[in-house]
Amino acid sequence: MKKHLQKYIILAVSIYVASCSMDLPTQLEFESYEFASIDENGGELNPILISKGSEITVSEPNDITSAEYLEELSEVKNRIANKSDQEKRNTRQWTNNPVVRWNEIALELIAKYNLIPGPNPDGTYTLPTPSNPQGPPSFPFAHPPYASRVLAYLSVSQYDGLIVAWHYKFFYNRPAPYEIDSDIEHAYVAQPIPSYPSSGAVVARVSKEILTTMFPLEADYLARMEEEHLEALLLSGENVPSDLEAGLDIGKEIASIALERASLDGMKDAQVNKAVSDSIADAAFDRFGWKWINLESPSRPVGLTPLFGKVKMWNVADVKDTRPPVPPTPGSDLYEEDVEILKNYAANVTPERRRIANFWQDGLGTYTPLGHWNDFANRYIVEFRLNPLRTARVLAYLNMAMMDAGISCWDAKYYYHYPRPIQLIEGFETIAGTPNFPAYTSGHSVFSAAGAEVLAHFFPSLATQFRGWAEEAAISRVYGGIHWTFDATVGTTQGVNVAQYSIDRAKTDGID
Amino acid sequence: MACTLGLCVPFIYSQAQSPIDELLMPKNEICFLLNYEYGQFDQYWEGDFLRENQTIATVQRRTAMVMAAYGISDRLDAYLGLPYVSTNSTIPNGGKFAGASGIQDVSVGLKYKAYESTLGKGRLSLFGSLLFSTPASNYLSDYQPYSLGLGSPQLAWRATGHYEFDQGFYSRLVIGYIWRGYTEAEREYYYNDGSFFTPWMDVPSSWNIDLTVGKWFLERSLRFEISYSNQNATSGDDIRAYNAPQPTNQVDFSRLGAFAQYYFSQVKGLGVLASINQVVSGRNAPKMTSFGVGITYQFSLKAK
Repeated sequence: MKKHLQKYIILAVSIYVASCSMDLPTQLEFESYEFASIDENGGELNPILISKGSEITVSEPNDITSAEYLEELSEVKNRIANKSDQEKRNTRQWTNNPVVRWNEIALELIAKYNLIPGPNPDGTYTLPTPSNPQGPPSFPFAHPPYASRVLAYLSVSQYDGLIVAWHYKFFYNRPAPYEIDSDIEHAYVAQPIPSYPSSGAVVARVSKEILTTMFPLEADYLARMEEEHLEALLLSGENVPSDLEAGLDIGKEIASIALERASLDGMKDAQVNKAVSDSIADAAFDRFGWKWINLESPSRPVGLTPLFGKVKMWNVADVKDTRPPVPPTPGSDLYEEDVEILKNYAANVTPERRRIANFWQDGLGTYTPLGHWNDFANRYIVEFRLNPLRTARVLAYLNMAMMDAGISCWDAKYYYHYPRPIQLIEGFETIAGTPNFPAYTSGHSVFSAAGAEVLAHFFPSLATQFRGWAEEAAISRVYGGIHWTFDATVGTTQGVNVAQYSIDRAKTDGID
Repeated sequence: MACTLGLCVPFIYSQAQSPIDELLMPKNEICFLLNYEYGQFDQYWEGDFLRENQTIATVQRRTAMVMAAYGISDRLDAYLGLPYVSTNSTIPNGGKFAGASGIQDVSVGLKYKAYESTLGKGRLSLFGSLLFSTPASNYLSDYQPYSLGLGSPQLAWRATGHYEFDQGFYSRLVIGYIWRGYTEAEREYYYNDGSFFTPWMDVPSSWNIDLTVGKWFLERSLRFEISYSNQNATSGDDIRAYNAPQPTNQVDFSRLGAFAQYYFSQVKGLGVLASINQVVSGRNAPKMTSFGVGITYQFSLKAK
């Protein structure tokens, strides 16, 4: 018997050891890679916030034979020769496409702050406010509209900053330290991209500035990330301090232009008080004979950002141009058909429908659907070996289109103020959380369709796949029990439509 | 494992011929247990903050369990268990979430009596046990607080010391380490004090202690005992503010319990049992109250 016991113990120990070693990725796994293109003329691309890359002034750098430069070079050489293992890991981890890394930082902060404020002990709710970020509740609540805006400003600023950097890189053509001195170890793949001004420093500064404004409680963390990143740039062999300084100046200037726009885009008025919220609901009731109400306990007095539909769009002149038609009247045949479909899904949660509902849920505490589409974009950006400029371009158009999609969707949500299934179907239960805003149209559907269209534009060989995903994301909300089928199908059309405005702009931006 | 709010309270096995008590089956005898447990909670610890949440109102949890214990030798028992679990919130609630139901984790185990001798005015016995469990259906562990279980393989190593006075009083200490593996969610990103780009979640392992005192009555046909149990997870994150728990949470708790077991003298091999448990403190744990009843039937597989 003892022998058997031993065998079991050995088996148990081996199970333990085998399952213990799972490596759970905390970021996209990739290393420095050779870019598919260098884009010497990338500086002539049409930026979003400024008129052209040369609009920002970057002064001429010291010549590489100057005493000042040689001193910088020897300082960098010395630091690289003496870098620690930790510094090596840090340098490798930032890679030669740090746009992806800063995007991941944004996704992480979105997930960290995507927590809906709970009720106070007396049953009231307190809204997060930037004037008291500590709260409670802490600011921000990084819900999907908020996330769409974070990512849009982040990506657009990175893009504009990199256009400026690219313009001056190929204007001044200062070689990188590793090219000047072959004794300087280069941490990344060698490619003919001039070092002044540092594109990495542009990305670091612009990202830190935007994210610090969007997540004020993370100022220290973001400053540390910037510092680590700048350190990696010096230790990579690609930059000297004056490259970084020039990059930081560009980043700072672009960020302040972006944040100026952000301060005036209407977001600060998007979350309204109860009186305004009620008047919006009543206006819909007068118009259509229905209105959405929050069924949480205690009931939330106001829906999420009722005036997000009035926020300034990136590429659509008037949100009303993208407003979908009136949804089916409750009680109509079309509506009753939908009720039957929803009841059927609720009664038959198949493994496949459950998987789809969960895969696309991207709910509270996660990086939201916006994060999911950025996550996809990052994977293909690396797979297609895009350089940082092209990376920022994809992400800028993706996130502009998705923010515009969100604005259009929110316009529809609060214009039509259509009830959720749990409000209209007696005793209805869901497997996904019902959000605090009206149903029509589905945010996931509009965001995802817009995201898919932009990715299909930039990665045409994968267009079918992206569009299939967007349709799955849309129907996932119906499987989850929180949306009508017309929320999803009309939302998908709406997202495709809104994205076209950004894609039309991308087509004329001066590359491809 | 009985699980709630993500918050998995190790199933007590109603403590009848369980891997954690001091009873052993005679060789070639088998015992079947049918147990039903009802648990509920309307408060839980979010981190160390005890709160209510009208989104989930009162969460109810029912566990029906069938278990078999078999005496391989007079010193070694084997165990096999399979629970069916159903969960839901009471109505009204603010979340309108559907509950869940289905088969949870199949468990297999061994218990070995390593030592027994008289000591002072009683007898001391020492046991080692090993219990492995793994999901027996495709239930979603990432659907808390309604998940049927943690969705991960688990391996519980336990050492039991039992001291029994000649008059029937006894005391028992069980120290266990429960290793838990990974569970697969149906999403490819989650936050656990940082981003994770994977459906796999690391379910924290734990140290578990059970301290029991009890007494036999009626010529050892009835026993009654009270117990204190404690779980300390070795890692994990806190439930975030007003957010759903997830399998990565650090779940700690202390629990008080009472248990009674009666063997009928009229019907050979037949027994009944009843238990009540109350979680009294915790971290990322539900303040669960539970009641259980069960029936056991024991017989020899060897023809007389």
